[in-house]
Amino acid sequence: MGLKTAFARLAAGAPARCFAIVGAGADEIAPWLRLDPELAIVDSPRAADVLLVLGRFNEDTLHAAAAVHDLVPPPRGVVSWSPGHEAARGLPFTDAVALSDPSEIGSAAVRLRDELLSGRRASSPDILPDVDPAPWRGVGPFGQGGAGMTGGVPYGRPLAGRANDRDGLKLDQILVRVGPFLPPFPPGLMLDVKIQGDVIQEVSMPAAALDDGSSVADEHHSSEAPGSTEAMTRFAAVQHDPFIAALMRPVPVADLELARARHHLAWLAEALRVSGLEAYGRRVLKLARTVRPEAAEPVDDLSRWLRRNLSLRWGTSGVGVVSASQAAALPGGPVARAAGDGRDVRSLDPAYQRLGFMPVVLEVGDALARWRLRVAEAQQALTLAKRSNGSVTTPSGLVEGLRGPMGARVSASTALVTMLPELLVGMEWGDAVTAVVSLDIDMAEAAVLHDVAAEGRAS
Amino acid sequence: MNALGVVIAVVSVAFVAAAGVYVTAWIDLVLARAVAGLEVRPLDALIAPLRWAAATALKARTTTERPDAEAWALAPALLAALAAVGLAAVPLAPGLLAADVANGIVLFGAAMALVVVAVFLQGWSPNSPLPMIGGYRFIAQGLSYEIPLAVVLIAAALPARSLAIAPIVTSQEHLWNVVRQPLGLPLYLMAGLGLAFWGPLALPEGQDLAGGSSLETSGASLLLWRAAQLLVLVAVAAMGTAVFLGGWLGPLLPGAAWMILKTLFLLIPLIATRHFVARVPTERYVVVSWAILIPLSLLDVFAAGIQALMAAR
Amino acid sequence: MHGIAAALAIFFVTLVGFLILRASERHIAPSKSTAPARVPFTGGRAPDTHAWNRYHVRYYPMSLLFLAFDMEMVFMYPWAVVFVDEGLIALIEMLMFIVILLFGILYTWRERALEWA
Repeated sequence: MGLKTAFARLAAGAPARCFAIVGAGADEIAPWLRLDPELAIVDSPRAADVLLVLGRFNEDTLHAAAAVHDLVPPPRGVVSWSPGHEAARGLPFTDAVALSDPSEIGSAAVRLRDELLSGRRASSPDILPDVDPAPWRGVGPFGQGGAGMTGGVPYGRPLAGRANDRDGLKLDQILVRVGPFLPPFPPGLMLDVKIQGDVIQEVSMPAAALDDGSSVADEHHSSEAPGSTEAMTRFAAVQHDPFIAALMRPVPVADLELARARHHLAWLAEALRVSGLEAYGRRVLKLARTVRPEAAEPVDDLSRWLRRNLSLRWGTSGVGVVSASQAAALPGGPVARAAGDGRDVRSLDPAYQRLGFMPVVLEVGDALARWRLRVAEAQQALTLAKRSNGSVTTPSGLVEGLRGPMGARVSASTALVTMLPELLVGMEWGDAVTAVVSLDIDMAEAAVLHDVAAEGRAS
Repeated sequence: MNALGVVIAVVSVAFVAAAGVYVTAWIDLVLARAVAGLEVRPLDALIAPLRWAAATALKARTTTERPDAEAWALAPALLAALAAVGLAAVPLAPGLLAADVANGIVLFGAAMALVVVAVFLQGWSPNSPLPMIGGYRFIAQGLSYEIPLAVVLIAAALPARSLAIAPIVTSQEHLWNVVRQPLGLPLYLMAGLGLAFWGPLALPEGQDLAGGSSLETSGASLLLWRAAQLLVLVAVAAMGTAVFLGGWLGPLLPGAAWMILKTLFLLIPLIATRHFVARVPTERYVVVSWAILIPLSLLDVFAAGIQALMAAR
Repeated sequence: MHGIAAALAIFFVTLVGFLILRASERHIAPSKSTAPARVPFTGGRAPDTHAWNRYHVRYYPMSLLFLAFDMEMVFMYPWAVVFVDEGLIALIEMLMFIVILLFGILYTWRERALEWA
């Protein structure tokens, strides 16, 4: 028995380290992956054993998924899951363990990892071709790929050029292609960030950023009539069920508000993790999964703990301020309410009016305000759910969703994504990440939801 | 004095270092499970660091397109070697000192000053944007904690009239430095957290950089890097015990036992900050360190100086 | 002298030991490095340029201040050893030195040279 077998046997008892690639349609599963005791979600593919591929992808994100797959060091394996009845169609992984039941993800990952480490299963082969990014060998006077000291493409890539900066120094500026699957950013968000030092100078979005997997699905569903039940059901799998349902028919207030509280707490868990408090974030995630309107005290305790934690305040106060005019340009939602704009579709609903609903509004508009607002809204949602006593909403074509009004012409996520470039310029990288996390953007909603409204109104 | 003495010193430091790293990993795991609301299984947690180490060692070591391969290989080894030297400067008991130099504080300070180089190399070598930002951030952090760290150690050396650690410990026979220099230990621990880039000062490896300087590391390099980081934490705790908590002084038990108990006592809050204190924003930390912490540390050294003068009278 | 020899020995033994452990990985987890596995990770898309650049180190004013304080520390080390013997004079001299440097910090803080974003 060699050292390798001994190590493999020792490693077999640990959770499988996974890097999660989340596409469209995996909203119900992705936030809860960290709760699975058999999984350990890591921040970098190079630290992973297994690649989790969840949801549907379009061409650009598929290429990125293949690139990330090749970054996972061998021995590596892929576990994939796709919503609905479609298998992982179009995915380039030859050796993936394809699942239809999301609850099996943990055990499948651990089983795959054990097989890989013990040698019973071969490592998943490279997908992209083994070619240098640009031909450089032997080109130029020193074989560095071009002419001049920094000219050409040494080792396949050029060197960065200089750009002006506000303090007068003209130093180099690099372009960081924040790809679809960089952990602190929402999955699917693609930004081209020009950064000098650690301060962001320019942010632009490649054209594909607002597109999601529905274009892959569309080819196969073109026979559906727009607004038909099949189309709505398909979009329901992409979005959060009670809210889509509330567009079409009366839904119990308790269901809506409980889903809202759960989502806000799950968001808080991720925000805490990005702030460095991983263990506490996991505690909050467990609370998000198990909270009920009758047992809402832990949320109050959480709110008190957050208020008293000075380090969190230090990291978020004054960061990513959304001005009142920017908030007015948004269709509504927690980000706008944290900046003083009190629009909330629930104020117009008779069931909520009977419950005495007043939207939570804060003035400052920075990341701390957004944190506090979402916690306060979660508390308010649980109180509403407890007192609702079975009352139902009145469908009116608009529903206050998790991030803003749903059924509107422009979804909140689309508006937030459009606002990102002007918000992030001039911010230091860490502050920029705090700001983006506090905005709670959903890329699938940004792309898809404005279609739902059009289809919903057509039916 | 001779080759045998040096060999014994090396072996004993290696043993203490390995034990310290293992215990630190275990305490971190136990605390993480407790804070996460999971069932804490201390015996399972004992073997969990070994499982993680085995799983990490079995992964291939990846490289990037045009890294600085020598510097990347050197970084974890340099960090561990510096931490080992820092640990070696701390006496376990009267007479049990691996690096018996006349100025242990200077040796420790020199070793800890070079940690900045090791972490920067780890961030810069892969030629990747996020680790590079992490590396440069660490320099900002490093320059900011360096002065309070050195100044509070000097303040502790004042009553002992010596820069060697053993006299500093014996000078605390009547009163520990944590009591007569109350600013010293908190400032030292804050600087120590920065030194080990742990918890609130995990700036080079923060989640906002998706792992930062360790983003492109995998396999044995990652395992060695983590071990080196934990060793820095152990060295910080050990030096803090010797200089502020009276080292080996204590009734009943032998000196070495007190030293180990007190180091564990200091390790636990150090490790726990990772689970209770959020990561600080770089720029604001620099401002607070220079505008508040350095003046406080200078106040500490002057209070210690006046105390020492009055005691000498 | 024995102390320094031991410290150096510990330093080099640890350094070489870690390097050997790192090199021995080749036998436990061998792999051939391919071009797609070497791309720096920023989320899945390939970078435009090398990351190495003339990085804009925005905390350079703070590093100049650090140099001044570093020289002060150099003086404080021997000062700590002879301090009690020299008496109040030593305290006052160091106090003067430090107050001058503290004015430096005050100026830097007021000029907001410690911040950069």
